[in-house]
Amino acid sequence: MVESSGPGAASLLLAHHGTPGACAAEPLAWAMARAWQCDIVHLWVLPSFWRDMMGDDWLNSAATRATFATYLEQTLSREIEQQQQALQQRCLAQGLRYRFLLQIGEPTACLLHTLHSETPRALVIGSRRPKGVAGYRSHLEMSQLLRQARVPILLAPWGWVESSVVQ
Amino acid sequence: MIYTHKSPALLIMGLLILLWGGLNQLGVIDDLQARLQPGAYKDHIAVKEKWEAEQRVASEQAKADNQPAPTLKRPHSKFDQEKAFQSKLSFLFGGLFTVIGVFILLWPAKPGNLDYLVGTVPGLALIASIAFVVRWGLDPLFANWGKAVKEAGILSWDFAKIFNLNYVVLGILAGIFVVNVLKVPVWAANGVRLSRLLLKSGVILLGTLYSAAELAQLGALSVVLIAIFVLGSVGVVLFMGRRMQAGNSMTGVLSAGMGVCGVSATVAASPVVQAKASEIAYTIGTILAWGVMCMFVFPTIGHLFEMTPVQFGAWAGTGILNSAQVAGAALAFDPEGVETLKVAEIFNITRVLFLPIIVLWLATWYVKNEENATKVDIGHVLISKFPVFVLGFILLFILSSLGLFAPADHYQGKYFSGDKVKEEKLLKPKQVKLLEGVSSKMRTPDEQKALQDLISNRKLTSRDQDNLLKAVGKMADLDKAVKGILENAHKAAWHDSPVIRAYRDWIAWLFAFGLIGLGMQITGQAIKQAGGKPLVIGSVVGTLKAVGSLLVVLLFISKSV
Repeated sequence: MVESSGPGAASLLLAHHGTPGACAAEPLAWAMARAWQCDIVHLWVLPSFWRDMMGDDWLNSAATRATFATYLEQTLSREIEQQQQALQQRCLAQGLRYRFLLQIGEPTACLLHTLHSETPRALVIGSRRPKGVAGYRSHLEMSQLLRQARVPILLAPWGWVESSVVQ
Repeated sequence: MIYTHKSPALLIMGLLILLWGGLNQLGVIDDLQARLQPGAYKDHIAVKEKWEAEQRVASEQAKADNQPAPTLKRPHSKFDQEKAFQSKLSFLFGGLFTVIGVFILLWPAKPGNLDYLVGTVPGLALIASIAFVVRWGLDPLFANWGKAVKEAGILSWDFAKIFNLNYVVLGILAGIFVVNVLKVPVWAANGVRLSRLLLKSGVILLGTLYSAAELAQLGALSVVLIAIFVLGSVGVVLFMGRRMQAGNSMTGVLSAGMGVCGVSATVAASPVVQAKASEIAYTIGTILAWGVMCMFVFPTIGHLFEMTPVQFGAWAGTGILNSAQVAGAALAFDPEGVETLKVAEIFNITRVLFLPIIVLWLATWYVKNEENATKVDIGHVLISKFPVFVLGFILLFILSSLGLFAPADHYQGKYFSGDKVKEEKLLKPKQVKLLEGVSSKMRTPDEQKALQDLISNRKLTSRDQDNLLKAVGKMADLDKAVKGILENAHKAAWHDSPVIRAYRDWIAWLFAFGLIGLGMQITGQAIKQAGGKPLVIGSVVGTLKAVGSLLVVLLFISKSV
């Protein structure tokens, strides 16, 4: 049984929110982690737009708003937990050690902050979904990331499959 | 948790507001005010010149009679009144903010109710400061620019008028700008969230402005229209959701949001129909995007169709998806009065009263269609979703009807039918002639009759006639002088009690404050989430609702109640 890794071990940062783009980046992360003998650090950024999800509601009572906030919080945490457990299982099945980090805020700022605090050997991300595919509109600012990241960035193309990995 | 942030921001805002009041009172910024309010300043100069001439004549007369020169009291012009009003409000709010600002800096905050209450003041002060800047600065500035651009021939139309760039719209835009570009400061966040309370207080106070007959007629009309369009929209969404295989939870949350009152209904219904996070995000994004768009489009269309306050209020109250923008659109359409707001808010209240019923319906529908759904407690839903502030509105209406705020016959239009209109306020022969000249321009027999009655009685004699001629006054091809005569006839017939007039002013300010605060809660990030099936269904239902209610209002709703 491969245990979860702890801070300090050589790691590879995988930014993954359960989207098809991020799933396509998994095999790339595994291949690189095996080659470099690193742990996988899974970063999940909960975008700050969720704070604005009550919009300009003014009619409801504080109790109804609190019920909604609790419900939304529980729904999000359930969704994150399901994705996190699934990815953990897949990493462990690959014989890799896994660690999970959750941050709330702007995706690019959170990612840069984690790169600074975790100092991984590389960052693995999936690519942006093609136009017309449904999903949240909360994207990484690639130009900012490329300018400020101090580690190699590996980007898996949309729909990329494992067979393409050079062993 | 400590809510009060030790920041000098409140003190600075308080001092700046006080400074504005002081400068106004001392007359130091008269040049600036004259540029902001050229119309009022022109009136001011005319009043001043007339007074100086009278003073001169009186002095000469006194000199001829060997009497000491009298000192005539200078009458207040609109310009003086506006400056005095700005000073009064500045001293009131600026003084309050300064005192609490000093208190915040000196007081070692401890958790508790006082901390929570004090912690809201800086945010409210930020909203008030924006409201003052917008109402006293940007609103007249845009009005002047609109006219200047038209007069210079750059545009053939007044862009400020066409896009309704008045203090309400500009205030909401300022709020949206603050939250998206500058970000709401930490010290203001607590107070900004409290802006909901200001809107609710505005609605409660609005209860003082209705007559029983008015409320009964508007109430009945709103129940019919809202029932048709709310139930219709919910039905269309349920049908489309099934056809598009959107899933029960998404269809449920969408039908509440699109059918009843937008974001508020989505917030209330989401836990009941167990909506997924993405469904909530798509739905709220779609509703916010539609709401903001409607707030700009509706008033422009309303003016284009020369709608009356009753017609526009009914249309906005029915056709706009999100209830927050109903008040915004009503005030954008009619920023100087609260007549449209009065109608629109009755429709808003009716929508809110429909909310518990719709949530219950959706809960039952969801339980029936979804295997894993949890059953809901009907009593709990009805009680928890009941909008308590509506009781405040009803209470103030009752107190008002009992004559607590104004003479009991105030609402019966005694100034229309009685002999209360003074002789000097009756139409002059020259004005009558001018009105006779535009008689052929009347569009309907009702308008024709209303004008004829005004000509024969030299004053307005009924509320219906007043409403009809108000619509006439908005006709684009009507002579300015005629519009002025109709406006004066309206003013001569309407004598509000000082208490009701004060309520009307405060209601407009409360709504302005509240809407700026709500604007500060509309983020681009939330709007950007509009997408997926909710965007498709929302666009179809939003358009159907807006166009359908417009047709119904234009075809079946009379211009007055």
